[in-house]
Amino acid sequence: MDSSNYKHLARVLTVLVVTVPGCATTPNANNGNDDPVEAVNRPVYTFNDGLDNYFIKPIAETYAEYTPEPVREGVTNFFENLTYLNVILNNFLQGKVTRGLSDVGRFAVNSTFGFGGLFDPATAWGIPKHNEDLGQTLGVWGLDELAYLVLPLLGPNSVRDAPDLASSTLLNPLLYISSSVIGPVGVLGIVNKRANLLEQTRLRDEAALDPYVFTREAYRQKRISDIYDGEPPLESLDDFFFEEDDLEQGVLIIE
Amino acid sequence: MIGEMKRVLLLSTLVAGLGAGVSTAAIATDAVGVVDKLHATLLEVMKNAASLGYPGRYQTLEPVTRQSFDFSRIAQVVLGRRNWAGLSEEQQLRFIDTFMRLSTATYAARFDGFNNERFRLVSEETLKEDVHLIKTEIVKASGEAVRLDYVVQVKDDQWLIVNVIADGVSDLALKQADYTSVFRNQGFEALMARMHESIANYEAGR
Repeated sequence: MDSSNYKHLARVLTVLVVTVPGCATTPNANNGNDDPVEAVNRPVYTFNDGLDNYFIKPIAETYAEYTPEPVREGVTNFFENLTYLNVILNNFLQGKVTRGLSDVGRFAVNSTFGFGGLFDPATAWGIPKHNEDLGQTLGVWGLDELAYLVLPLLGPNSVRDAPDLASSTLLNPLLYISSSVIGPVGVLGIVNKRANLLEQTRLRDEAALDPYVFTREAYRQKRISDIYDGEPPLESLDDFFFEEDDLEQGVLIIE
Repeated sequence: MIGEMKRVLLLSTLVAGLGAGVSTAAIATDAVGVVDKLHATLLEVMKNAASLGYPGRYQTLEPVTRQSFDFSRIAQVVLGRRNWAGLSEEQQLRFIDTFMRLSTATYAARFDGFNNERFRLVSEETLKEDVHLIKTEIVKASGEAVRLDYVVQVKDDQWLIVNVIADGVSDLALKQADYTSVFRNQGFEALMARMHESIANYEAGR
């Protein structure tokens, strides 16, 4: 076979591998703790955690302490606006036409009247912010997470959600600006995002008995919620209902 | 005959005990009521957070969480039915008690200040005949709202909370994965020790 045939075969195999195994009508939270790559994920998680504790978190904490709130908001707005072309695309891919059009308007308003995304007049004008990515699109199309992944530096992810890393980068306008700017701006983006997550990680560190598992399940729950735009199907709560007879009777707390 | 009398005595003690609990705080008779009561107590604790301190907040919350959550059912779900069945009754009671204290401690530690937040009822939905989903929001001063959904279920004519879903994340699912992992890898006593450690950390303000 010549090279173009190989390419074709590779493309077909990729499509089959991606779409066939995990097809389901409703992505579920996979309560069987199915984590096929756990043996690799845990060391990566530990590595990320160490890097975070010794390096990234202290920087983010200092940043959070000394940066005025409005400035942090501006930075957050700026980077969120940069992701919006990806949000728009995925709205349309999911068939959410009204949302897609609203998001086009939001991007336009914030990029212009918001001075390149630093400000967020769109929200004040009643144009809400949405959260969409390629992983959610695949989820809406019926794909399960396939396998939970912990990526070096990037943290929780999955086989289904990982392709969004590529597509969102390609759709990020920052990529097309001169390379000398990308470095420092990129670092600012990472530090700002970490600073925004300080409270959440603090809560996790307080509550989790097994932080790896805790993070995995929190990630999975959030993805299900995001795929369904905050209203996951009520059946997903069914896993936790037992009929009275299934449970042990007579366990009562006596004061 | 003696056995019968003992059983009646025990039952009446239990009922009296429950009654004592009831008279100090009315038991919610409807699904939304149990959530409303919890929220009202949380607001009270938040507004007086500094003057109460962690111990005061814990003392204020403890009777309310005890009456609002079905800790027996939650404990069985969190550990998983098979694991639960393998425990002795003494272990089960210890687990429920510690789990209840840990839940109250978490609330006491987290709701440690007031910034003009308020709770807002969004809707009530019926999942099954005796199971409702109460959707609420905690609205910050900025107007930003975080979703707090409660799954409440009837037990002995009382509506009790069996799950809290905060911002799309089911607390029950989270705890089940977390606790069964520790149970499986380290055993029951290690799990109990970790729970006690968490409570101690909250008490110490860490």
